[in-house]
Amino acid sequence: MRGQKKSRIGSKLLEVRNLEVEFDTYGGIVKAVRGVDFSVDSGKTLAIVGESGCGKSVTVQSMMGLIPMPPGRITSGSALLRGQEVLGDTIIEGKEIRGAEIGMIFQDPMTSLNPTMTIGNQIAEPLQIHRGYSYRQAFNEAINLLDMSKIPEAAKRAKQYPFEFSGGMLQRAMIAMAISCKPSILVADEPTTALDVTIQAQILDLMRDLQSQTGMAIILITHDLGVVARMADEVAVMYAGKIIEHGTVEDVFYRSAHPYTLGLRAAMPTNDPANQHQLNPIEGSPPDLFSPPPGCGYCARCPWAMSICHKSHPEDYYLNSGHYSRCWLHHNDSKIKPNQLSFSEEVRG
Amino acid sequence: MFLFGFKRLLQGVVTVWFIATATFFAMHNVPGDPLLNERAGSEAIKANLESKYGLDQPLSTQYFIYLRNLSRGDFGISFTQENREVNDIIREHFPVSAILGILAIVFAATGGVLFGALTALYRNRLPDYIIMILVILGISVPSFVIAAMSQLMLVGINNMAGSTILPVAGWGTILHMLVPALVLGLGTMAYLTRLMRSSMLEIIGSDYIRTAKSKGVPPPRIFAKHQLRNAILPVVTVLGPSIAAITTGGFVVELVFAIPGLGRYFVQAVQQLDYTVIMGTTVFYGAFLVFMVILVDILYGFIDPRVRLEK
Repeated sequence: MRGQKKSRIGSKLLEVRNLEVEFDTYGGIVKAVRGVDFSVDSGKTLAIVGESGCGKSVTVQSMMGLIPMPPGRITSGSALLRGQEVLGDTIIEGKEIRGAEIGMIFQDPMTSLNPTMTIGNQIAEPLQIHRGYSYRQAFNEAINLLDMSKIPEAAKRAKQYPFEFSGGMLQRAMIAMAISCKPSILVADEPTTALDVTIQAQILDLMRDLQSQTGMAIILITHDLGVVARMADEVAVMYAGKIIEHGTVEDVFYRSAHPYTLGLRAAMPTNDPANQHQLNPIEGSPPDLFSPPPGCGYCARCPWAMSICHKSHPEDYYLNSGHYSRCWLHHNDSKIKPNQLSFSEEVRG
Repeated sequence: MFLFGFKRLLQGVVTVWFIATATFFAMHNVPGDPLLNERAGSEAIKANLESKYGLDQPLSTQYFIYLRNLSRGDFGISFTQENREVNDIIREHFPVSAILGILAIVFAATGGVLFGALTALYRNRLPDYIIMILVILGISVPSFVIAAMSQLMLVGINNMAGSTILPVAGWGTILHMLVPALVLGLGTMAYLTRLMRSSMLEIIGSDYIRTAKSKGVPPPRIFAKHQLRNAILPVVTVLGPSIAAITTGGFVVELVFAIPGLGRYFVQAVQQLDYTVIMGTTVFYGAFLVFMVILVDILYGFIDPRVRLEK
């Protein structure tokens, strides 16, 4: 199965295969990421969606070497950037991965910048480290980058400290910092969660503009399906440490092939007056990752769960070349197909 | 920044006035009279003092005379030492205490910051355990014990070497200062180490250190540019009171190492009820501490930009 998939994907900018990450805690070992595969192409945006604690952030942070080890541990898998392994390595082809090859922005810009260092110096820092710029050169480039990120009076702003910026401005500065060395991938870990809605839209527009200018790939982690619809080319839906559905944004939204994706959609508000419906929350909570279930992680909350769902984990079922779902309902012996179901009827019924 | 400094200075003057007032009334409520004490000086001293301070006048008048003299920087004449001004005593002995205190603070601050950072970086590993055990010792063993033991050790070292490498007691050269300053600063160093460790641990887990790592900043640079400056802030905050503890707490160490500092006179004056010396040294120490705290506040402004811009 995996071999088959690899040939379909072909050679990508970044290919992550079978990534597994666990953490030692006082309560035991938490299997946070349990075999994740995805890939990204230059100029494209991959959105990783899922609820809190499903392993989205750990997946990208392990790629960047940002999870503390110990207690964290990458137990298997590989992440190939242009065919070169990045897991456990911080330099490939003489280029630092962090900062130079992959830039990263975080959820809370208020706490993600050093409070005692000027914004300009913080943006200039990667340029000094990775490009060998002099302090002057780097600071001038930092002003250009702030300008590119649409911060007015960039020269004056560069000399200010984070506490003199608003949240939206700080996130712009974070973006300027992340793209300073022209990385091939920008990882955005819930970049708009801490911002108010109008600022969210501006930040997303900025990221898209910069993507079209530089041709970088974006890995966008979010639990906001509105953000996904606006930004993503491809979507990977994660649940309990695994990707359970993956495909283009159209496939995942309009031809959802996993009960969890259907559940997320039913729980999402709409502003279409012709299509008002009551929001249906997904009952229950994600499984305990101290002892992950042997079968599908979602079966306890799934209205269509069958006996096999509790026993063994489903394979990848391909609906088309890029769209797969990990759900037993797609097996030939299954009597119902999830894409033929109307989710709300089934739940109400 | 200038306004900030001026405001703090004004507050400092009020604080010193408060200290002076409290000292004055506290002293006048102490039972006993230095002029009736058998250790007090001759009739000549007594007569001089009574006319100079108006000791037969009401308390309020005495208080205003005291304040007037104080504002001129005149602390008066010692009750027990004939014709010796308190100002002379301070001028002669305070520099010794100050040098010892500053050296001790330098030891304490550099040691505390370095060891604290080290324990945080090696958390739950051998260097952390060793240093933290020493820290507990440093905090709990009183300074006179450490002073006496370090003297004993110095004797041993000098005997082994066959010549005096470091003098056991006395004052004069830089060699005389090293061991007493270290002993004096040890308790504070231990305290600052603990403080620095916890503050550093907090910084290590903070979001902006993760950001710095994601930028590919090498660990030594993260330490120097991102962690140290932020972690040092709480240490700088307590540096003011620490200077207080060290300079006023120095008399035990001064006594053990036979150092002619002000602390010894302070204790002596209390034993002999030498009013003017007690009041003079108390107010002087108070003013010195207030000044140090203001200095630390201004220093804090340079390290933390958020304080600097507060109006």
